[in-house]
Amino acid sequence: MNLELKSNESKFLIRLADTATILGQRLAEMCSKAPFLEEDIALSNISLDLFGRAEELYKIICTIENAAYTPDDLVFRRNERQYFNLKLVEQPNEDFAWVIARQYLHDVYSTAVYTQLSESSNSELAGLANKVLKEVKYSHLHTKDWMDRLGLGTEESNNRLQLAVDHLMKYVEEIFSWDEIDREQLADCDKITSAWESEINQTLAACNIERKSIQPLSMRDYRDGFHSEHIGHLLSIMQYLPRAYPDAKW
Amino acid sequence: MESGVKVWEVFVQKKSGLPFKHVGSCHGYDKKMAIQNARDLYTRRGEGRELWVVESNAIVSVPLDEADAFFDPGEDKIYRHATFYKIPEGVNHL
Repeated sequence: MNLELKSNESKFLIRLADTATILGQRLAEMCSKAPFLEEDIALSNISLDLFGRAEELYKIICTIENAAYTPDDLVFRRNERQYFNLKLVEQPNEDFAWVIARQYLHDVYSTAVYTQLSESSNSELAGLANKVLKEVKYSHLHTKDWMDRLGLGTEESNNRLQLAVDHLMKYVEEIFSWDEIDREQLADCDKITSAWESEINQTLAACNIERKSIQPLSMRDYRDGFHSEHIGHLLSIMQYLPRAYPDAKW
Repeated sequence: MESGVKVWEVFVQKKSGLPFKHVGSCHGYDKKMAIQNARDLYTRRGEGRELWVVESNAIVSVPLDEADAFFDPGEDKIYRHATFYKIPEGVNHL
């Protein structure tokens, strides 16, 4: 499918929508694989919230783009380079610490972003942002709790969380390399950066995890459709059914 | 789940003022985890506005094998029921 979004608003929203879709898919992969039943259900619930959020965002995009696409087109008929999710959220579920750290880093970012969007002049988007804030608040509570438990738990849990954070932090820098579209669509990008930095530094220190200085990755920006090596596998699984059976209904 | 985990009984209140109702149980290492797990298992579809979790161990119950003796209604002991007693003559306001 060719994707040519006309408006800056939809170019911006598709970043949020794709981030929600890809993270939702990653969490869906955890279904039946979490360490125990209750956590399995918690992660699946968060995954469903993310898919719900993505669908609403795609609908807003489709309205802005005069119904040139449907939400299903956008999810199932785009290739890697047409996806605009944060590289952070496509990182795999190496172990439970990765799942939690990835989600926590994302939740702190989402809280700051959707707080600003709740004041948007697009009333549909503002309404959605308020709903999202409630969901993120819960997810954030859950993942923050696990950050403390893993960080302050045993030597093994601390090591695993440290490894996860070390890896995932490589994909954080691009989040805050705001471009013109971000600056146009968000009230105050720098406030998001500083809110994220201050909470993350505080949490990592409190849960005994070191924030190491990281060599900048020579990877191009997610805003231009660039990814880490993991996205292709993720999409091929997620898109298999509608691509193999284009007329399938569900 | 590994050892060290506790079982908790979950009670949900549908709305403020109504009694809490036992809905089932969940796992958790401590209070905080128990209440979050209970929330995920039992209240995601508007089932309630308030939740209690109580460690199952903290609930005193009758051992199953004693239940027969404990709850024996004593149907053969008719004097346990008020109807056994005749109202004496002359009592008007019983």
